[in-house]
Amino acid sequence: MISVEGLRSLLKEHFEGDEVEVRDMTGTSDHFEVCIVSAAFEGKSLIEQHKLVHAACGEHLTRAIHALKIKTSTP
Amino acid sequence: MNTEQIKEIVESHPVVVFAKGSKLQPMCGFSAHAMEILNRTGRPYEVVNIFDEEDTRANLVSYSSWPTTPQVFIGGELVGGSDIVEEEFGSGTLQQRLETAFGS
Repeated sequence: MISVEGLRSLLKEHFEGDEVEVRDMTGTSDHFEVCIVSAAFEGKSLIEQHKLVHAACGEHLTRAIHALKIKTSTP
Repeated sequence: MNTEQIKEIVESHPVVVFAKGSKLQPMCGFSAHAMEILNRTGRPYEVVNIFDEEDTRANLVSYSSWPTTPQVFIGGELVGGSDIVEEEFGSGTLQQRLETAFGS
């Protein structure tokens, strides 16, 4: 199980200084919506951008996090 | 379903959705959302219920190197999950992919 704060700080580690918002979509701490504004997404396809976010979630993704809605944008 | 069978179905149908549940009974909101968007395009699509066979999910994850479901493939290429499908529907990219995949 991972909390909203836990996921936010995990993502903040990988997206240093970027805007990171995390929302629990169902109140069950396993369906999250994540909005990240980062220059790291520049010039990348949506799939590549989302893969960066997947990597930041590490092994939490699919173990603790069953579903992740991702919204990426550049500053 | 092994990776060979996954490759075969993805390359033999213009649109394939690997989902939790079936077209009539999606078992996850994200899978249902992806199908709902595809319904809005009016294009036919194949649904593979990852729960139908034991090893489908693990083989799918290794085939597409994408950890979650649903996974939408158009023209044999991974588009992504319901968030990307929704975003591309909004930008019109999804409709272009479908035109290419269906040839019109």
